Amino acid sequence: MSALLSSLDVILQDGFMYSILAMGYYVSYTILDFPDLTVEGTVLSGGVAFGLLVKNGVNPWLAMLAAFAVGFVFGMLTGILHVKLKIRPLLCGILVSTALISVNLVVTVFGMGGNLAGDGALSTIDLGRSVPTLIRTFPSNLLPTNFCNFNLRKLVTFFVIALIFKLLLDAYLKTKSGLLLRAAGNNSQYVTMLAKNQGRSKILGLAIGNAYAAISGALIVQSRGNVNQGMGIGMIVIGLASLIIGLSLFGRVRFIKPTTAVIFGSIIYQACLGFATYLGVPSAYNKIIMAALFTLALVLSEKLKRKGGADR
Amino acid sequence: MIELRGIHKDFNPGTIDEVTLFDNFDFSVKKGSFVSVIGSNGSGKTTLLNLASGSISPEKGSIFFDGRDITNVPEYKRASFIGRVYQNPQMGTCPDLTITENMALADNKGKSYGLTLAVNKKRVEYYKELVKECGMGLENRMNVKVGALSGGQRQALALVIASMTDIKLLLLDEHTAALDPKTSENIMILTDRLVREKGVTTLMVTHNLRFAIEYGDRLVMMHEGSIVLDKEGEEKENVVIDDLLKIFNEISIECGN
Repeated sequence: MSALLSSLDVILQDGFMYSILAMGYYVSYTILDFPDLTVEGTVLSGGVAFGLLVKNGVNPWLAMLAAFAVGFVFGMLTGILHVKLKIRPLLCGILVSTALISVNLVVTVFGMGGNLAGDGALSTIDLGRSVPTLIRTFPSNLLPTNFCNFNLRKLVTFFVIALIFKLLLDAYLKTKSGLLLRAAGNNSQYVTMLAKNQGRSKILGLAIGNAYAAISGALIVQSRGNVNQGMGIGMIVIGLASLIIGLSLFGRVRFIKPTTAVIFGSIIYQACLGFATYLGVPSAYNKIIMAALFTLALVLSEKLKRKGGADR
Repeated sequence: MIELRGIHKDFNPGTIDEVTLFDNFDFSVKKGSFVSVIGSNGSGKTTLLNLASGSISPEKGSIFFDGRDITNVPEYKRASFIGRVYQNPQMGTCPDLTITENMALADNKGKSYGLTLAVNKKRVEYYKELVKECGMGLENRMNVKVGALSGGQRQALALVIASMTDIKLLLLDEHTAALDPKTSENIMILTDRLVREKGVTTLMVTHNLRFAIEYGDRLVMMHEGSIVLDKEGEEKENVVIDDLLKIFNEISIECGN
């Protein structure tokens, strides 16, 4: 029973943690129809920015803002490659995320006080037990750490962060800028007719998508306690699968906002992974399970779309 | 108002399919006039509109708007004074946004799209007034996604939206061609009323010879990149469909059809 509870705890934490990445994909993939591969790089960039800053004594809330900004800028870069240099969406993501492998590594090594000729140990940032993270500072530190075998502080913190970013996105999409973004994804000619540069909306959308990915990265770092250069791998699949599961299962329910559906999708996706772990599948198989789940999600979403096709 | 001077336009340059459509082409529209443009496929009607709107640019020549050279002004900037309705009803609106949302976006044209609320509830009544004039009951479906409307309803909405803000030139690109006869008639009547009310300069491309004759105050017929007929005012009043068909036939014989 306690094993089940503790895996439920992890499922919820991870669900909230990755839901922000999936919300980012809601902007870039669902709204703008842009399959953005940049996130493998920006998730890590967000983690690196957060990790280095808190390690150097910066307030974790400020460090979160910095992670957001870092993701925003790299997302803009992908957008600029696409809009100004007319490079295809998939290639833009590959280009930026490839470049980010070096950027993230170099920044980490220098940030840790090493040099490029030094040893590989400095490519990870260990937060240890004393570095203040969101979980360890005000107001989360007012909560008990352990409650019925749940890591309450972590769970509540991640839930609140996911909620904040959900509400921010909901509010943004109702603004003029947000509505213009939706129009850009829907019918870019309409944006042109409104005397607006549709390219700028696309750049902004990709910036938001990657800023959200970077926030996810900052949470992953706090969850694991360290920054590892390999942590970006597999993020595309996690983000997209959570998004597609969420939207295809709950997207048609009238009173559930898409952002809420995405959070549910993320939890369900993590539950599937958690179930595999519970059954004793070694974690080495994780990526196969992830790919299989993603395939299943894609097939299911097509089936469901056809079933309710009259809606469109 | 708008003037095209010495335009040269090639298609597929550098390939064996290279076609020169316009060679030293001149065309101008006076302020406040309503011009109908007819012509067979490939005669350059739509290219004319594309050059005016800025969605394509000429190889040579200049385009002037109210005396200002706009040849190098990008399409989205020209859109601040040019409105356009396309043949395809899908083009003029956003399918996943509601009628209100589509109109709220258009209502803000020319201003900045910042972080204030997109839909101003107080303006919704005004939007309802505008769509009510279409006589299609759109005013009762303000929160319906535009994608769920019929082609005619979408085209009426696109027309209202295109003429909502203070545009100086309205481009109509065969905007009734994808609709059934009755609906296209209604849309044409609505077009005429909007154009008269606003007094906006209008350039309408159509395949419907009757519309071209009945509406507008100038009639232009194009063929292979040049103007073969240009009647205005009283002269235009006297043109009948048979005259136009005769010219079409002569052209066809020339082409060996």
